Amino acid sequence: MEPLIGMGVLALIGVAATIAGASEDLESDVGSQSNPNSQVQLAPQMMFPHRIYNKAVSGEPPSNALMCSVGAAVATVLISEFTLSPLFALVIGSLVAACVHGTFAVTSTMGRAASQRRFKQPVYLDMIRSHTPVIMGYSFITTFCVLIVSYLMTVVLGHPFPLTMLAFIWGITVGAIGSSTGDVHYGAEREFQQFEFGSGLNASNSGNIVRYGESGVRNGYDNSWFCAKFGGPVTGIAFGMTVFLGSWVTTIFDPAVSIARGWLSVVAGVVIVLILIIWNWKIEVKARNAFGPYKEDKPEEASA
Amino acid sequence: MSAGGAGGGATAAYPQQTIMAIGAVGGLAGIYLGHFMPPAFSFFGGLGAICAIVWGADAVRRVASYGLGTGVPSIGMIALGMGIVAALFGLSVGGIAGPIVSFIAAAIIGAVIGVLANKVIGMGIPIMEQAMVEIAGAGTLAIIGLSVVIAGTFNYADVVQNVVANGYIALIFIIGGMGILHPFNANLGPDEKQDRTLMLAVEKAAIAVVITGFASSLHEGLMAAGLNIFVGLVIWAFAFMKYYELVKRDAFSVVGTGLLPSAEELE
Repeated sequence: MEPLIGMGVLALIGVAATIAGASEDLESDVGSQSNPNSQVQLAPQMMFPHRIYNKAVSGEPPSNALMCSVGAAVATVLISEFTLSPLFALVIGSLVAACVHGTFAVTSTMGRAASQRRFKQPVYLDMIRSHTPVIMGYSFITTFCVLIVSYLMTVVLGHPFPLTMLAFIWGITVGAIGSSTGDVHYGAEREFQQFEFGSGLNASNSGNIVRYGESGVRNGYDNSWFCAKFGGPVTGIAFGMTVFLGSWVTTIFDPAVSIARGWLSVVAGVVIVLILIIWNWKIEVKARNAFGPYKEDKPEEASA
Repeated sequence: MSAGGAGGGATAAYPQQTIMAIGAVGGLAGIYLGHFMPPAFSFFGGLGAICAIVWGADAVRRVASYGLGTGVPSIGMIALGMGIVAALFGLSVGGIAGPIVSFIAAAIIGAVIGVLANKVIGMGIPIMEQAMVEIAGAGTLAIIGLSVVIAGTFNYADVVQNVVANGYIALIFIIGGMGILHPFNANLGPDEKQDRTLMLAVEKAAIAVVITGFASSLHEGLMAAGLNIFVGLVIWAFAFMKYYELVKRDAFSVVGTGLLPSAEELE
């Protein structure tokens, strides 16, 4: 393939992956999946019933792998059996995947609330009706973008894996990155906004999540609004970089051209990883120097 | 009951032996019926997979009631991980007895992993060994059952060509695994009830039949695929309605809308 076309496809893949990462994080935030979920689950038991969606669909990696592999399976059937254009097939596949994900979301939030009977947590149907379409919408965007990434990789870049397998792997990856990168901004900050910033989660505050918004009762929309400012985009950048840089080395140094090129791609990959490690280390050292450990005696020092 | 909490077994309305019998006998019967009958009847494999997934969900429920918490999804993944190894091994050497060989291989793998979890890792869950055997067996039958839906047969060459080589094995892995792990995970809490959890297992397994049924159109034609999807959708609709009824039965209250209960109401 022409290197220029390869770079163009790579840029498209990177863009799709960035959108997938952002929407994946917001999708999990609307439903309080994975990291923030334990506190949403705990809250009624600590006498804090709430109107927050409890989407306990395992962790994000399996649930996204499910969405993406369902979408890919439906799309491949549509392409080969019904000879549909790939674009339509990917859209319909993503639609089916979003519906399947919707049933998982509905059953988990209803089931979890029903299992809190002794703590008097009601099942709010209006909350389920309003939040589930949003969750399905985000999961549609995520699935569609991951399918685009996987489709371009199989068809244009000639990846040896079949589409369903590749979508499965990228689904796990986007879920893992969303879980580790984006959720922190919801689980550690947004749920405990009423406590001093940076004070950590004291055991006595467990389950005492913010349940009231600026106006009325807080819900999943409010949480995705907060996370859309930073958590979602940063997840998108993380996933986009993972996909882009992961494929960039083999596009620039194509192993198909010569074996020496293949080794160069390995070297380029190692260099990228080293740069990122050193960069991260520098950021951490700088942050520690600037903000330091939690200083308990600061007021006394100031008064002395 | 201490579902999701610390220690103690789960209480159950349906005894464990009944569920085991439904899962093992129903699973194997469905797989063999789907294999020997014409392709249009490959939905029998799906019915077998539903039985196996219900069994797996019940086994997960029993072992996870010892306070596994976030380990519930992991145990569903390990079920299908053991299942894939056992299924492909059994089908490759067993011929017509393939599913039974796979089932026995799964039991052995499950026993080894159960012993490792309790003796080496030291999890100390009394029913760990037995539960791992059950989960591995259920995962294997779920994989073979859903493979029969797609390929119409459990003949090793056909399964490899129609299910493994085109990547649908990834779909079966995750959709079967979610079917086994999701029911208990979604109903986690002190007031979890067995019938509600198992009804959710039926609902999730029916979705697996619908999706694999759609994929079956590649090799079995539109008639068979349509029948697979229809059977799956009927079971799904029934199970979903039933699940919603059970939620209404078990929940403190199901309200159209409302503010949070006040402090007095919580007393």
